[in-house]
Amino acid sequence: MSPAGLAWRSLCGQPARAVLGVAGIAVVGALLFDMLLLSRGLVVSFRDILEGAGFDVRVTATDAPPLLGPPLRDVEKLTAAVRALHEVRDAVPLRTGRAEAIAADGSVLEVELFGSGAREGVGWTVLEGEGLNPSGDLPVVVNRRLAARLALAPGSKLRLRGTCQASSAVPPVELTVQGVVAFPFDAASGLTAMTSFAGFLQVCAGEEADLAELLLVASRREAGAEGAVAAIRRARPDLNTFSNEQLLNRLQRTDFSYFRQISFVLSSITLFFAFLLVTTLLTVSVNQRLGELAVLRALGVRRRRIAAGLLCESALLVGAGGLLALPAGALLALGLDRILRAMPDLPEKLHFFVFEPRAVLLHVALVALTGVLAALYPVYLVVRLPIAATLRREVVS
Amino acid sequence: MPSFLATLPLLSALAVTPAATGAPPSILVTRQLAETAGLNVGDVVSLSCDPSGAAARPFRIAGIYEPTPDPMRLVAKRFEARLHLPDMIGLTADPRDPLSPESVTAINVALRDPADAAAFGRELEARVPGLVAVPTARPDDGSGPFVVLERFHLAIALVTVLGSTAFLLSLMVMRAEERKETVGILRLIGVSRRHILLEVLVEGLLIATAGAIFGVLFAWVTEGAVNRFFQWRYDTSLVFVRVTAGIAGRCVALAVPLGVLAGLVASWTLLRRDVVALLRR
Amino acid sequence: MSAAPIVEARELTKVFPMPAGPVVALDGVSLRIEAEEHVAIAGPSGCGKSTLLHLLGCVETPTAGTLALDGRDVAALHDAERSRIRLTRIGFIFQRFFLLPMLTAWENVELPQSEMGTPKAQRRARTAELLAYVGLEHRAGHRPSQLSGGEMQRVAIARALANRPRLLLADEPTGELDEATGAQIADLLDRVNADGTALVVVTHNAALAARAGRRLAMRSGRLA
Repeated sequence: MSPAGLAWRSLCGQPARAVLGVAGIAVVGALLFDMLLLSRGLVVSFRDILEGAGFDVRVTATDAPPLLGPPLRDVEKLTAAVRALHEVRDAVPLRTGRAEAIAADGSVLEVELFGSGAREGVGWTVLEGEGLNPSGDLPVVVNRRLAARLALAPGSKLRLRGTCQASSAVPPVELTVQGVVAFPFDAASGLTAMTSFAGFLQVCAGEEADLAELLLVASRREAGAEGAVAAIRRARPDLNTFSNEQLLNRLQRTDFSYFRQISFVLSSITLFFAFLLVTTLLTVSVNQRLGELAVLRALGVRRRRIAAGLLCESALLVGAGGLLALPAGALLALGLDRILRAMPDLPEKLHFFVFEPRAVLLHVALVALTGVLAALYPVYLVVRLPIAATLRREVVS
Repeated sequence: MPSFLATLPLLSALAVTPAATGAPPSILVTRQLAETAGLNVGDVVSLSCDPSGAAARPFRIAGIYEPTPDPMRLVAKRFEARLHLPDMIGLTADPRDPLSPESVTAINVALRDPADAAAFGRELEARVPGLVAVPTARPDDGSGPFVVLERFHLAIALVTVLGSTAFLLSLMVMRAEERKETVGILRLIGVSRRHILLEVLVEGLLIATAGAIFGVLFAWVTEGAVNRFFQWRYDTSLVFVRVTAGIAGRCVALAVPLGVLAGLVASWTLLRRDVVALLRR
Repeated sequence: MSAAPIVEARELTKVFPMPAGPVVALDGVSLRIEAEEHVAIAGPSGCGKSTLLHLLGCVETPTAGTLALDGRDVAALHDAERSRIRLTRIGFIFQRFFLLPMLTAWENVELPQSEMGTPKAQRRARTAELLAYVGLEHRAGHRPSQLSGGEMQRVAIARALANRPRLLLADEPTGELDEATGAQIADLLDRVNADGTALVVVTHNAALAARAGRRLAMRSGRLA
């Protein structure tokens, strides 16, 4: 009988212990798998959103987080200069504000308002109608929630009153809905509208013109994002230019760092727990079978073979538990993701737990390593087993 | 004397310059800003709201303070300065806006009875149209970031308890198997199942209580290390982990019954068998 | 045909270091066992009978003295080599049977053969032959927990004979059996010896000892 066969029989001989051991490892392994998903989940998800928006470079006035720092000035000239760069395919200025959408019955809804320069329509999914066409008469596109709340459709009118300056009371402006779109960074409960720059200045009357919080840039394929960043930095070294990758690295170091660290801490704890569980199970199992093991040695079975049997036992426990951990972890990840996505103002498309094949490979490798390490002490016990003394003790006991 | 201090959260330009004629007004800066920019008490710095540094004004650093830890701004660099309100207005006011010198971002109000906050806010909004009055203690609608994080941590804790329970049960089953012969002999000589279970219960209670207390003590000891690490990592004085009496009580209240139950379940699987089966090798 | 004895032990000594002071379990025991011989060793508890058996079986190493099996000095051999000797040349039977509880009777008998590397077909043939030899071919698929004490000891004997050892060592083989069953086991051991395997039995059982061709008495670590 091979060491694997002996190990299997040994586990089957104690089914309750084996099943509980596998269950414990599966639960702990599920948590480990989830922490591996969490360690890069936000970055992967955010990267998908950024890339889906259609722009791979962004420009702000300072290194404050996008939309939170001072605005860019002389935006029209800046946009033209950036567009003229060989490495750049498109540049679109974006400014942000807040407005009240006035319903037919006079009630108001707080709305996030964006003013966008002319763009080729990338960055969102058109659900109804068309994208923002600045040449239209005070055009606006809205997200699905706002459209549903105010029963808007392409062609409808939307009355917006800017609340960009707290000290001003501006009259509402009527805009024409050109489309219903899914904005990439829309929060789950957010109401969003986007109009042209001209429309924004009308809605938020009194706001300084020729400003933007952000310049969105799409690079040419041959230059790539890094080429476009370098070109813009040469042209305007006074501004803060960064690619999607650079933004992600920064977020990973700052805003996402809590989740990265908690995933590291919990991964370490779960690995240690699994190690402890398997070591304890195997050690107790060995201690209970010392007589058997001594007899095997007395019969001439080599230490190596018995050690191989123990390693196989560990591999079976950890292997079965580790495999079950994957679907269990996937289910758990769905639940944990749902809990975390309840945080306010998160983009609806952002996920904390994102499946990556890398995470599965890492999970398998870590679980396998744990299984090997956990078997070391029981193997040590077996290798050092004094045969005669053990036999004598077994007879006496 | 200045009436109260305002906080300028974001400095657009900061420079250390030699002392200007006439004493410049004093400001406080955060420890983090002082360390990063190499500032000391008595230094004169220039502050400007323009990214190009235009219209900068000199200020003297009168003190360095530790900013109030804000968990919502955990990862933000706390580069802040506190100015006297007239200085702040002088620095930030828009010269084109005649009302600018009379404008502030917010007014903090401390009521005689904090319970009146919501009603006070509503009345104020009704009397002054356009004003927004918000109680600082907001009702918990379950969506605040820390409420969500608490739920997340609770979910993790539950999963950990589940894994630990499986672990515990397997150990208890092994312990019960070890005692199979002893239990068989006790049953053989007439000791009742009830008596044996009671013994298991007492033993389980002692072990589970000792284990739970050890666990709580271990958490209490490591609390300091965890806090120190994250305080160093985020350069903050926030407390991240605190083992309170309530938490300790909840842990013991969960661990002890689990331990006792695991022992009873494992022993019952043994006691269910007949005496002959227990004594058979 | 080899004239060398199966076992030649000279001045075998075994001292166990204990916290309270060293214990001399064997004190200068010299012994010679010829091929196909049947030797019984009797003595009071603690006289060193089992220690002597463990030394003869290469389970322990002597503190002093020499031990040769089939003319080969085994006292100073490496553990792997001693394992090999136990696997190929020596069979062991114990008072408590020590069958592996999760394996069937068939699998217990097959185990030493698979360790030896015997091809599957030969293993099957040999296992069937041995189970028939001990009269348990109808219980091949049963686990030890489903066998009586006598049946378990018979499976243990079959396992001990799996690799055709020249020497069978039995430590109180009837110690846990009733008189009738013990007699059956004793008959089986006689048959094993008659079929050409040297037999050394350590026993308190006078009837079992009486069956041996040579009886040795031990006292305080020495052969009387």
